[in-house]
Amino acid sequence: MLSIALSELIQIFRNRLVLVTSLILPVAISAFFIYQHETFAKLGSLGYIAAVVVFTVGAFGLYTTTVTTLASRRQNLFLKRLRSTASSDASILSGLVLPVTVIAVVQVAAIMAVLAAVTGEPNNVLLLVAAIVATLVMMLGLGLATAGLTNSPEHAQVTTLPVSLGVIAVASWVGISGTEELTLLKRLLPGGSATELVVNAWNGGVAVSDSLLLLAPTLAWVVVALALASRLFRWEPRR
Amino acid sequence: MTSTPVIDVERLNLSYGDFHAVKDLSFQVKRGELYALLGTNGAGKTSTLEIIEGHRKATSGTVRVFGESPRDRRAVRPRMGIMLQESGFSPDLTVRESVRLIGKLSQRVDTVERVLDIVDLTRKATTKVSQLSGGEKRRLDFATAVYGAPELIFLDEPTTGLDIQSRDDLWDAVDKLRGDGSTVVLTTHYLEEAQQRADRIGLMHEGTFHQEGTVAELTRTLPAVISFALPTPAPALPHKATRGSDGRFLVETFDLQEDLYALLHWARSNSVELQGLEAGPTRLDDVFRSIGSA
Repeated sequence: MLSIALSELIQIFRNRLVLVTSLILPVAISAFFIYQHETFAKLGSLGYIAAVVVFTVGAFGLYTTTVTTLASRRQNLFLKRLRSTASSDASILSGLVLPVTVIAVVQVAAIMAVLAAVTGEPNNVLLLVAAIVATLVMMLGLGLATAGLTNSPEHAQVTTLPVSLGVIAVASWVGISGTEELTLLKRLLPGGSATELVVNAWNGGVAVSDSLLLLAPTLAWVVVALALASRLFRWEPRR
Repeated sequence: MTSTPVIDVERLNLSYGDFHAVKDLSFQVKRGELYALLGTNGAGKTSTLEIIEGHRKATSGTVRVFGESPRDRRAVRPRMGIMLQESGFSPDLTVRESVRLIGKLSQRVDTVERVLDIVDLTRKATTKVSQLSGGEKRRLDFATAVYGAPELIFLDEPTTGLDIQSRDDLWDAVDKLRGDGSTVVLTTHYLEEAQQRADRIGLMHEGTFHQEGTVAELTRTLPAVISFALPTPAPALPHKATRGSDGRFLVETFDLQEDLYALLHWARSNSVELQGLEAGPTRLDDVFRSIGSA
């Protein structure tokens, strides 16, 4: 798995397009949110800023890059090549998504640290970590599922739009308007309860036990995404 | 060569919906053999190969490689090298990185330098795969297949796109591996390669074997042909002959040497010139062509 991960890391740093979408774009957007934190805090709260940058990295850095990478590796038969070795499918997939996942984790950690340094520390760091981990796992699962529907890296530009724009829209909606109204709908939408969890963890004021319940819908999306991935994911291009 | 089969295929079937790609196929490949799987387009050889390699699941039947299921990668893959029909390398990795990665994942022990030397890609070691020619990619593919000198090597169209020197080098490397005991399964559209090198051939048509055996066994099912033109008038021929569309006489024979001798003797006795005389043994091409007309 580590050999595959290392080769993936090399490829990410050699491919400028992937480098821009997975590394530079999420950081640039997050930097803008932190730079304008007073404006966005008035619009929602500091927790909203935290949520929207987590989803920016999750959507553009992790989700889109996962879909693009897997579609590309399938299209040029690299997946088939890897499957002609002694590696298991789980090991191959883990190796392929490990670098982009680690990059996303480092990015989120760094951005959260900068946000905390600029605006003050979050109310509950452990809860924030749980929320971020659940969110990134959900985006990874959705990435695997979407990769099954994506024939090529070019096709990924279309197939990733609904989820990537959708989760950021949900994060903004929930982060700005809260969940007092349309509570069930907002919590059931992908990213809705995760956003509320990040907001609670950053802003405080909500009992931890109540916030932890919000992990359930996020983890349910993980289960749905992995179930879809197991049905949709293909190792070779359609003939 | 022992009789223990490296590959044992029994009543193999593969269906895609209503289409039966492979039908009740059974054969064995013995240790040390070079077994060629040939066939017409759509005959089912790629599907068969992919099942044996463990890339595809059979609808029914059993396949054993080294006595194990080919889908048990951990047990089987360290002992087999696979040269795919299409390249399947990442364009952003270099030649050295590609061989190192696939070699390491194969769990065989070797050095990248040795393997690159075999396929004459040492000078291209730091070149990205995207910058290789088609022939160089095939050689890279071969390099990963022979990394660690596996006991069983699958060569799927190995010489397609290679120049004559590279072909010779590749076959030299295969000969050396066979000398060290490797078993080879080959698919190719270059029938002369199969004719020259295969110990046995499975000739597939419409999902099953049309014929299987050595080159001699396969070619002996069809007559050899002696062809010539005759000046007119000419005495009666010693053999039954047909006339081709170009007016030449065609004599079909299962005993080429004897019948050719008799024909030459007849020509000399009658002072007849056999114009444009051509005679040769039945080739694999002839057997292959006979499939379509069968």
